[in-house]
Amino acid sequence: MTDKPILTLKDVSIEFPTPSGIVQAVKNLSLTVNPGIKVGFIGESGSGKTTTALSIMQMLESPGRVSTGEILLGEAQTKVLDLNEEEMRKTRLSRVSYIPQGAMNSLNPVMRVQNQMWDAVVAHEGKTDLNELQRRSDAALESVGLPARVGRLYPHELSGGMKQRVCIALGVILTPELIIADEPTSALDVVTQRHVMQTLTEVQAKIGCGLILIGHDMGLMAQSVDQLAVLKDGVLVEHGSTRQIIENPQHPYTKELISSVPLVGGESFLSPAVSAPASQKEGPDALLEFRDVSKVYGDVTALHAMSFALQGDTPQIISIVGQSGSGKSTMGSLMLGFNHPSTGQVLYEGKDVARLSPSQSLDFRKNVQAVFQDPYACFNPFYRVDHALKFPFKQFGLSKSEAHTQQAMEDACHAVGLDPDLILRRYPHQLSGGQRQRLIVARALMLSPKLLIADEPVSMVDASLRATILKNIYDLKDKHGISILYITHDLATAYHVSDYVIVLYHGRIAEAGPPKEVIGDPKHPYTQLLIDSIPWPDMNRAWGTARGDEVEHMLEGSDGPATVFRGEIEGFGLKTGAA
Amino acid sequence: MADNTTSSAPMTRAERRLQKRMKRFDNPWMNPKLIWGVCLLLGIVGLGLLGRLLWNLDLVFTGSAPLKLPPVGFENLRRQEGVWDYPLGTDGSGRDLLALIVMGAPNSLWVGLLASLIGMSTGIILGFTAGFVGGRTDDVIRVLSDVMITIPPLLILVVFQAAYGDVSLAMMSLLIAGFLWQSPTRLIRAQVLSMRESGYVQMARLSGASTSHIMFREMLPNLVPYLFGSFIANVTTAIVTAVGLEVLGLGPQRIPTLGRTIYEAINAGALIQNLWWWWGIPTVLLAVMFIGLLMINLGLDEVSNPRLRRLS
Repeated sequence: MTDKPILTLKDVSIEFPTPSGIVQAVKNLSLTVNPGIKVGFIGESGSGKTTTALSIMQMLESPGRVSTGEILLGEAQTKVLDLNEEEMRKTRLSRVSYIPQGAMNSLNPVMRVQNQMWDAVVAHEGKTDLNELQRRSDAALESVGLPARVGRLYPHELSGGMKQRVCIALGVILTPELIIADEPTSALDVVTQRHVMQTLTEVQAKIGCGLILIGHDMGLMAQSVDQLAVLKDGVLVEHGSTRQIIENPQHPYTKELISSVPLVGGESFLSPAVSAPASQKEGPDALLEFRDVSKVYGDVTALHAMSFALQGDTPQIISIVGQSGSGKSTMGSLMLGFNHPSTGQVLYEGKDVARLSPSQSLDFRKNVQAVFQDPYACFNPFYRVDHALKFPFKQFGLSKSEAHTQQAMEDACHAVGLDPDLILRRYPHQLSGGQRQRLIVARALMLSPKLLIADEPVSMVDASLRATILKNIYDLKDKHGISILYITHDLATAYHVSDYVIVLYHGRIAEAGPPKEVIGDPKHPYTQLLIDSIPWPDMNRAWGTARGDEVEHMLEGSDGPATVFRGEIEGFGLKTGAA
Repeated sequence: MADNTTSSAPMTRAERRLQKRMKRFDNPWMNPKLIWGVCLLLGIVGLGLLGRLLWNLDLVFTGSAPLKLPPVGFENLRRQEGVWDYPLGTDGSGRDLLALIVMGAPNSLWVGLLASLIGMSTGIILGFTAGFVGGRTDDVIRVLSDVMITIPPLLILVVFQAAYGDVSLAMMSLLIAGFLWQSPTRLIRAQVLSMRESGYVQMARLSGASTSHIMFREMLPNLVPYLFGSFIANVTTAIVTAVGLEVLGLGPQRIPTLGRTIYEAINAGALIQNLWWWWGIPTVLLAVMFIGLLMINLGLDEVSNPRLRRLS
C-alpha cells in the first residue's frame, strides 16, 4: 500500500442558493485521508459535516453545489467533481461507500437482505453467477459477524443493531477505498452502539480502507477514530490526531465539545444551591405511589410488578435508567395517566390516577407535568410557541390578567436562559431543538408542578447543549422545589443529577440505590455492561472489549440475576414483585 | 442574489429560470396556478353577478325570443344572421342563451360548492368521532364509509331523482353530498389517529385541555391544507355528478342549469341541425369551471406541500 492519501479535499467550498441569498455550508475546507486511517468529522447539526461527506459522492441535495476546490479520490487520484453521472454511479459503493444514519429506513422492506446485496454487485459488475453472488454476500455478512442465514431474512426480522451491521456489510461488499459512516449509531442504545462500532472498525482494518466517521459525540470519537476534524459553521476549526485534540484542544469550541460529555465520577457540571427550598407538597400522603403496578401489552410484559412511594417532602430526582424496551417510558406514561396499569394502582397524593373526578383531574394535571423526548413534536406547528406556555397557564387558572401571563412567560424564559423578545413570538420551526426543549422546561417552571416527569429530555438535543438543559431541569428541583423523575438511557448524566437510581432491564429492576453506589460501583452484570459501553473522551480507556455478547447472553437466559438493592434514601421506598 | 451575478457576468438561461423560481418560492401564495384557477372561477361568478345587473333575465322564458338564432357574426342553416339583441344566439324554444348561462352557470357552481360543503362537514364530524372515540363507534363509521364507497353514486342518484321528480338546487346538493362524505371521513380519521400520539397533542392533554379543545383548536388547524384540497376535489366531483344527472334530464326542472341546457339541446336534435352554440357554449363554460378547479387544486397542493415546489 502506498502512502498516497485516499482522499484529498483541496479548498472545498459548498454553497446552497436560497431565496435570501447564497448560504455557504462549507468554507474552504482542506483535508486528506490516508489509507487505513479513521477520520472523525465532529460538529453540531448544521456544521457542514454531512454536506462535505455527500459532496465526495456528488450526492449533494439540489440546488447545493461545490463552488470552488477539488476532490481527489483514491490512489488513481480521480477528480471526483469532473466525473459524469455514469462514471460517478460506478464509483459510488465500489470506491466510496456510504453507511447512512437510519439503517432502519435504508433497507428495502420487501426484499431479502441478500438480494439487496446482490443488486449492488450486479449494478457494478454486470451479470454474475448466482453461486458467486451467494458466496460474496455470505462472506460480507460473515465479515460483520452475522451468520449467513441472516441473508435470507427480511429487514423487519432483524434488530436495529443487526440492520446497521447489514448496512455495513453492504458498504464493504465491493471493498471500497473509502467508507463514509454518517452517525451510524445515533439511533442505537449504548450497548448496541459499542457492538456496531467494533464491527465497523474491524471490517475497516481488514480491508485497509479509509473511514470517515461523522458524529457529534466526542466520547464515541475518542474511542474509535485516529484523527479528528472539528467543524463549526462550515469551517474546519481544528484537525489533528485524536489523542492530541482530546488531551490538548486548541480551539475553544473543541474544548466545549469535550467538556460537554458528562463523565461518571468526574467533576459535576452542576452547582447545587446552598439551601434547597421546601417542597410544595401538602398532606401526609405520598406524592406519587406505585402499588404493585405492572403493565402487559398482549403477550409482552413491559413492566413487572413493582411498588414504590415517592414521599416528596423534600424535592428529589429519581432516575430511571435502561435501554430501549426496558419499560422505562411505559413507567412514564403510567405516571402521567396516559396509560393505565394492567394490575395495581398508580396513586397521586393517595388518589387513584385512573379514577379522578374532573376537578381532581385538573389538579393532577397541574401538579404532574412532563418534558418529552422529542422537542420537535411538542409544539403545534400551527401556533406561535407562546401558545404552549400561555394555554396551560390560563387553563389551570393561574393567570390573573393578560399582563400577568406575559410577565410569567418572560420570567420563565429568563430562568432557562432564553430571550423572551426573540423567542416567544416565533413559530416552532424557526427555533432550534435546544431552544424548544428549554421552552418546554420553561413551561414546566411556569406551572410550578409538584412533580415533573422528564422522559429522555436531552437525547435529541445537540451534545453541546445537553449540559445546559440538564442544568435547567436540575434548577427546577434546586431552586423551585419540584420533584423530578428523570427517565434516561444515559448513566453518566443520571449519576450527576439524581438522588436515587433505578436500573431497568426488560421490565424488571436490575439494580437500585444511590447513584454513587449503583453507577460508581455497579454490582449487577447488566449495570456493569451499560457502564462499560458508554464511550468517554479518554484515550487510555479500552472500550472495544467483546464482553458485551456474553453478558447479554447470560442475561437473556432466564429471568436474569435477582435485583440488587444498594441502599435506601429518605423519602423513597421501593420493592419488586407482588406484595 | 447579488453575489450570484457578479461571479459570472452573463447568466445562463438555466440560472435565470432558477432565479425566477426562487422568487416564487418566497411567497407560496403567489402561485401562478392558484391565481389562474381563482381568476377563472371568479370569472364565472362575475358573469352571474354582472349579467343579473346588465342583462334582461326575462329572456330565459320560453318564447321570449326568435327561435334558433346564431351568435353575432355567424349564420344558421336558414341563413339568418346573429343579432345584438341576442349576442350568443337563442335556443330551439326561443330562449336567449346569454340569459340562460347568466342564470345557469352560477347555479351549477353553487350546487357543487354546497354539496361539497355538506359532505365535508359530515366527513369532518364523522372522521373526528371515529378517530377520537374509537372502539365500536369507529367500527360502525368505518364500515359504513367503506360500504358507501363501493356503491356507484350515479346509479342511486338516478333512482332517487326519478322518484322525487322536480327537486330544488339545495335538495340536489344534499343528495349528492350523501356520496361525498366517505373519503374525507377516512382521510381525517387516519390523520386524527396519527396526530393523537403526536407530542403537541400529549402536551395539550398535559395542559388539561378538553377533548373538544384538542380536536378543534389543536388538530383541526393542522388539517386545513388537506381539507382545502379535499374540498376542491369534492366540488369538482359534485359538479360532474350534478351535470351528469341534468344531462340525463333529471334534477331541477324549472331552474336553468348548464346541464339542463345541454339536455334540451340534445333532445331537440341540436347536433344534427348544427345548432352548435346551444350545447357548445354551456360545455365551454363547464370546461372553464373544471380547469379553474383543477388549477386551484394543483396550486393548493404546491402551497401546502413545499416539496412539490422544489427549486429544481
